[in-house]
Amino acid sequence: MSNSPATDGSRPSSAVVLAAGEGIRLRPLTANRPKPMLPAGTRPILEHVLNALIDAGVDDIHIVVGYQANRVRSHFGPTYRDVPITYHTQSNQLGSGHALLQARDGPNGSFLLVNGDQIIDHRIVEAVSTAHTDAATLAVVEGPEAVDYGAVHLDGETVTELIEQPASGEFRLFNAGVYAFSQRIFETLEALSVERGELPLTAAIQQLIDDDHAVGGVRTDHFWMDATHPWDLLSLSRELLARGWVDAPAVDSDVFVHESAHVHPDATLVGPVVVDSDVVIEAGAVVGPYAAIGASATIGPGSVLRDVVVDTDTVIGPNTTAVEFVAGQGCEMGAALTASGGPADVVLDEQVYTDVDLGGVIADRVDVGGGATLEPGALIGPEATIGAGVVVRGHIDAGSEVVR
Amino acid sequence: MCGIVGCIGRGEDTVDVLMAGLRSLEYRGYDSAGIALGPEMRVLRKAGELDELAEVVEANEPLGSYGIGHTRWSTHGPPNDRNAHPHTDENGRVAVVHNGIIENYAELKAELQETGVTFTSDTDTEVVPHLIAKALAAGDDPETAFHNTVDRLEGSYAIAAIIDGSETIFAARQGSPLVIGVGDECTYLASDVPAFVDHTRDVVFLEDGHRVIADTDGYVVLNEDREVVDVDVETVSYTAEATGKSGYDHYMLKEIHEQPTALRQCFSGRSDALEGTVTLEEIDEIPQPNAVQFVACGTSYHAALYGAVVLREMGIPAEAYLASEYALSPPPLSLGTLVVGITQSGETADTLAALRDAKSRGVSTLALTNTVNSTAARECDHAVYIRAGPEIGVAATKTFSSQLVGCNLLAEELVDGPRDLRPLIESLRNLPDDVQSILDTSAAEELVEEYGGSDAYFFIGRGTNVAVALEGALKCKEISYEHAEGFPAGELKHGPLALVTPETPVFAVVTGDDERAQKTLGNIKEVQARGAPVIAVTDGESDAAEIADETLMIPDTDERAAPVLANVQLQLFSYHLADALGRPIDKPRNLAKSVTVE
Repeated sequence: MSNSPATDGSRPSSAVVLAAGEGIRLRPLTANRPKPMLPAGTRPILEHVLNALIDAGVDDIHIVVGYQANRVRSHFGPTYRDVPITYHTQSNQLGSGHALLQARDGPNGSFLLVNGDQIIDHRIVEAVSTAHTDAATLAVVEGPEAVDYGAVHLDGETVTELIEQPASGEFRLFNAGVYAFSQRIFETLEALSVERGELPLTAAIQQLIDDDHAVGGVRTDHFWMDATHPWDLLSLSRELLARGWVDAPAVDSDVFVHESAHVHPDATLVGPVVVDSDVVIEAGAVVGPYAAIGASATIGPGSVLRDVVVDTDTVIGPNTTAVEFVAGQGCEMGAALTASGGPADVVLDEQVYTDVDLGGVIADRVDVGGGATLEPGALIGPEATIGAGVVVRGHIDAGSEVVR
Repeated sequence: MCGIVGCIGRGEDTVDVLMAGLRSLEYRGYDSAGIALGPEMRVLRKAGELDELAEVVEANEPLGSYGIGHTRWSTHGPPNDRNAHPHTDENGRVAVVHNGIIENYAELKAELQETGVTFTSDTDTEVVPHLIAKALAAGDDPETAFHNTVDRLEGSYAIAAIIDGSETIFAARQGSPLVIGVGDECTYLASDVPAFVDHTRDVVFLEDGHRVIADTDGYVVLNEDREVVDVDVETVSYTAEATGKSGYDHYMLKEIHEQPTALRQCFSGRSDALEGTVTLEEIDEIPQPNAVQFVACGTSYHAALYGAVVLREMGIPAEAYLASEYALSPPPLSLGTLVVGITQSGETADTLAALRDAKSRGVSTLALTNTVNSTAARECDHAVYIRAGPEIGVAATKTFSSQLVGCNLLAEELVDGPRDLRPLIESLRNLPDDVQSILDTSAAEELVEEYGGSDAYFFIGRGTNVAVALEGALKCKEISYEHAEGFPAGELKHGPLALVTPETPVFAVVTGDDERAQKTLGNIKEVQARGAPVIAVTDGESDAAEIADETLMIPDTDERAAPVLANVQLQLFSYHLADALGRPIDKPRNLAKSVTVE
């Protein structure tokens, strides 16, 4: 008992998880659920986040929900892995600081804060938790991504400045989005006002620094990853599979199959691959490497899938070829779909992303007729219907019907 | 039905433990509540919901190192302070809580009154403390007095008592649930595990005839002959928090949204889609029955109606009976008949009585239930679990959906013969996502704006959709208190049509496009001719959506799975109707979650 770090009174054992945002850049996958509920491997991103917290000794979880909150609530319910969950609702998405304020009545004493849409090694949480002494502590990572995530100026183990939008290449240390706070953060947030429709957490941290409160920085090089664009779900899944961070028993070194799945003896699983509960993989299918097949999905006979994320309840028809392909929940695909992989130039929100390794993305409950082809980088919105033999290029809107 | 709790060995935490226990048993009744504490023999009780009692407790700050408590759902006497438990003898030396019905109470009461005992309540329970007091006066020690009293009781009961001068809780079980929670140097008693699962997960499930003597040294279980019996201590897996609302406004809405998960759990591992087979391991060995009789009450009865249609379509004679009628007017039984009791809680007294009646006549019985180790599961020859997870909302939602899937699994397992089940399996596997798509897109809430405030709501359907129509109406009645009736669609013109006016919307459940669907379309026109607006709940296979005034769409699926989906739309309508009317959705008046009295 006494050697367990979790029992050390000064370490925060509560955590707040921010899971209220839609994740606009992940549309059309987020039509029915917030970004934290998108699949990382075969489980929602948020499930991995909660695993990391619980593995780090957290025993009281507060989730801030907003966009499509019911999806989060009904997935986790009142407890996850025997740890109680309290839900706090953020009705308007006014930034991370505003989101945290919604959980003001949640944790007692110091607490951890993580993003619900970002996968983290539990050791990052432990490092922040152990180092936390005063007003705030944050995990600091070294890498070229500082441009995207906001740079950190570190003096020893003290954060001296947060730089929101650093010039490229100027800084190498950045904020990994894993924090520990004392209750003071709530007062600081309340004293700040929502500006330009947003109250970012970093503003409050900067305020703490300006007010001479100690803000600690913990250097860490453990695994850390998030998804910004739909195709990032493929790399997220790849990373998790490579680490064996999947929730199914291993039947071979890197082949993970849930006990209730049915894999035909003439089907081939090529690791790394994960097959979740009640999946059916029919004869002659070749699934993997880097395939994540969600619960109750069906892979038709003779289909070849590589580098795919297939979400729950989706049916892939016979003789499909799918490479670098993401399918949402409850899709039905007819025979012989072809999605042969990137690279592609993808246009998202009027921005062009070049050389993306993406065969195609299909959002929830899309029906695809037999013999359809996805040109590299195709994005199909939810509940769209694609007729037999159609060749899909670019972006198809939600609910639309494409017959040729 | 009611809920009882008890605890000894918790010292000054006793009041908090009892109150928290009652809080988690409120689903069993909420007309009145009370606690009794020893060794001071303090009794506090109050009509109304538990909050009323909580105020009294806060004001009085009662002390005690052991005690018993009760939350009541009235059977004998109105829900007022006087009829609230615990009941005491004339001197306040004995306090008793009771769940169930003492059938010979009138006789016992008359006998006691003849000896000059004054009764202060209308309850059947009050005979118990007076009988104990009389035995004490006759020189019995407390334990003997308790045994001698219980020996005289007929009917169904779970009883707990404390007696002045003995730091002990005495309890007995006959026909109503009672479980022991085994703690560290303390013992809990309750009608159901959630009452103490915060403190211990080690549980003894008592059987009928068992009596418990619990003191600060632990507990002993005795049989009717007062001999010590060995009991197994089992460790239960669920946590107290599993019964929280997760931020939903009501348990009912939470449970509606849990249906994709519940359905996935119900079906998981029970089919092989590659082979096209269904396997229920629990009953793998049962031979094909010659006939099936379902017994059930309320929502479970509607699932039974559905199950009977499914079995008949497979060529097995099958009927659904209301359990409360079955035991008293039993239908003929032939050898090789299987009697299936459907009960969410596994404790429904009427269903248990019907199953016991069937068993006494020598046929096999099977419980289709949500509650592992429930009385139904233990007493029947076989048990199949629907795995829906705890359901707290009084109005059953997710368990009905899972019962329908359970009926399909049961039917396919019971009936021999090779057939390709792949289409059925595919549709049942798709149910979680199909239900989710309804939850994501349902127009039911908008319909409430249009049709809330109508004079009445009618629900019609044919075949398996009769069950959906009846269930839709029951849900509407239970939580909105609005007048609602469900009918087999063809029956409307034989009487109920007289009730149909422009102020009575009719929900028509039409799935597929077979003769039943076609004939239901005719019935839609019948009611439209009387000016009633029609809301079609349909998969779009027939012309129902075109004919009807409004539509609640469901995804296209197998005809066996469609009723599950149609019902979800009706659940949402009833929920939003009741919510708009400001009803106490999780605690509708006069109702309790599972009814453990006949």
